[in-house]
Amino acid sequence: MPTFKKSIFAALLATTAATATHAADPVKIGVVTPLSGTYAGIGQQVRWGFDLATKQINASGGIMGRQIELLYEDEEANPSVAVQKAEKLFQVGKVDFLTGTVSSGSTLAVGQLAERAGKLIATTVSFADSITGDRCSPNVFRVNARAGQQSAALAVWLSKEKPKAQVFYLGPDYEMGRSTVAAFKSSAEKVGANTLGEVFAPLDSKDYTQYFGQIRASRPQVLYTSVAGNDTVRLFTQLQEFGLLNNMTVVGASGTVTSQNIGAIGKAAEGFVTGVGYSTEIPSPENKKFVEAFKTAYKADPDLYGTDSYGLIYAYKAAVEKAKSTETDKVRDALRGLKWATPQGEKTIRAGDHQAIQTMYVVRVANGEFKIIGQVSGDDAIGADTCTRF
Amino acid sequence: MLDYIQFVLAPQVVTGLAFGVAVILVALGLTIIFGLLDVINMSHGEFYAFGAFSALALNWLGLPFWLLLILVPLLMLPVGYFVERVLIQRVFNRPDRHVTTLLLTFGFGLVLEDAFRLGFGPNPYRPDTPIRGAVEFFGIFLPNYRLFLIVFGGFVIAGVALIVYRTRLGAMVRAAAFDRNMAASLGVPVAWVFAGAFAFGVSLAGLAGVLLAPVYSVFPTMGRDFILMAFTVVIVGGMGSIAGAVVAGLFLTQVQSIASLYISPVWTDPIVFGIMVVMLMVRPQGLFGRLGHA
Repeated sequence: MPTFKKSIFAALLATTAATATHAADPVKIGVVTPLSGTYAGIGQQVRWGFDLATKQINASGGIMGRQIELLYEDEEANPSVAVQKAEKLFQVGKVDFLTGTVSSGSTLAVGQLAERAGKLIATTVSFADSITGDRCSPNVFRVNARAGQQSAALAVWLSKEKPKAQVFYLGPDYEMGRSTVAAFKSSAEKVGANTLGEVFAPLDSKDYTQYFGQIRASRPQVLYTSVAGNDTVRLFTQLQEFGLLNNMTVVGASGTVTSQNIGAIGKAAEGFVTGVGYSTEIPSPENKKFVEAFKTAYKADPDLYGTDSYGLIYAYKAAVEKAKSTETDKVRDALRGLKWATPQGEKTIRAGDHQAIQTMYVVRVANGEFKIIGQVSGDDAIGADTCTRF
Repeated sequence: MLDYIQFVLAPQVVTGLAFGVAVILVALGLTIIFGLLDVINMSHGEFYAFGAFSALALNWLGLPFWLLLILVPLLMLPVGYFVERVLIQRVFNRPDRHVTTLLLTFGFGLVLEDAFRLGFGPNPYRPDTPIRGAVEFFGIFLPNYRLFLIVFGGFVIAGVALIVYRTRLGAMVRAAAFDRNMAASLGVPVAWVFAGAFAFGVSLAGLAGVLLAPVYSVFPTMGRDFILMAFTVVIVGGMGSIAGAVVAGLFLTQVQSIASLYISPVWTDPIVFGIMVVMLMVRPQGLFGRLGHA
């Protein structure tokens, strides 16, 4: 009899222990992001954004009582490396959710892997419209603004400031470069701008002077560019060296001039205008609190990538809490149509294509800092839902 | 037609010239190391970056650019000497020297690149261009600093050629390259000469780094930009030949420059590598053969 009681007691203890450990099981989020290579600067902001959100959420109890655990892998801005690392995180790390891909190529590749693995991924950086457009996937979500939203905001500003502008386009020769140029071209032409010409330079071009002959010959008022990182430093300083900035306004994609390269570009960045999904100057109390927390933790201002990454963890938390589970199908349904608060205001994830809708801001560089000079509502900037897969 | 030459072709040739001088400076160091030491220095690009980062750091401490032009190459001499004596000598005296030195320098290059990233962060920096303004001649617009690059680079290249071909030091270097045992038995301090040549080659790369920092900006992966082009120039010009590096450097950069007028710029790199492949098939010793043998 005592042995029977003992064994019942032991069984009860075992089950409570089992449920207790199950409740303490962390929610694992895999992060495949460039920690080295050309995009390492972006990867650093992404990491900071994720870490800060995770720290805050874990401190206030985690998601449904479970702590968040982030597992980092370096994708080196290379889609094939990203796929390998994502595979490792899915199979070995057994992550519930994956994020962090920066290059649009990586996001698309990892998205296909996620479909095979039955998991969800989200990008917080990739701009290419195709990710939530013609190459959309039921397992891929995007919380940052895509190229189409940025160019819509910028085009609205351009039509007011320089009606019927003469525009020349210079973009990097890959997915993001071509799609951003195409997106802005169509938005700009719709509001009356005239296209003088376009040229695409290989990534990591050292010398843009070979295109200056063409640019000079067409005499543009406005130059639109979507280069990024070191390429922007070289393009802008070379434009300045050769005197091309004197009579020309340069506008571009939001990733072109960021806190990582603005120091190196220096005076050549003055007057640059872009449409962007975030600015540290957004005058909301949530944003001020966020910027303070970010600066205290990392001694640097948050930029677009850090902020969007921060916002993603909160979106995932809201979705899991709504679905009361981390199961792929339930979280997918919860994410569709989700509205949640971010430093940039309230964002909504459109169910039709998994793209986040948000207010867009037009900013200009003045004295080495971005100043907000206008804003465009989420619905005006979002554009049509072109995803037909689901 | 004249308009085309003046406004399109000529500016392209001139900017190609500035780039060409930069490539030659990097390739010169590489060809001396390859030609003399028979070492395939895969970390040469990182030494170029080392020069640029050193200039950046010293500039922040307040030293003016003109002082850095002389100081940084001088500082890199002991660095190169140290690397040669401590690292390369270890794997040098073996039959599979090419493989071991390639692996060693490749690994060393990776370590240096990450060291830069750890020390300076992944984001680019740009020291201010020391000479502002531009000149305009015959309708060709050229910033003054690029003009300075071409002239100064030209002097440096001429100086190197002078040292190698017209001084006793240069004669010792060429003798050691031709037959190290014979040179040693004639009293040439071969170990010193080898280490010194490596140091000199590395220092040239560093000088290129300082000169180009205001033009191409400074960031941890900058070494990779130049290394492939430098190797191509060395192979096409002849491994170890100074004249070869100069001629091939000018030729290949002009090919790149002018070709980009007619075809998509993405194809200019494959064309340059294609020339290298053809050269390897048709005349493997390059245009001018090896140092000491030419």
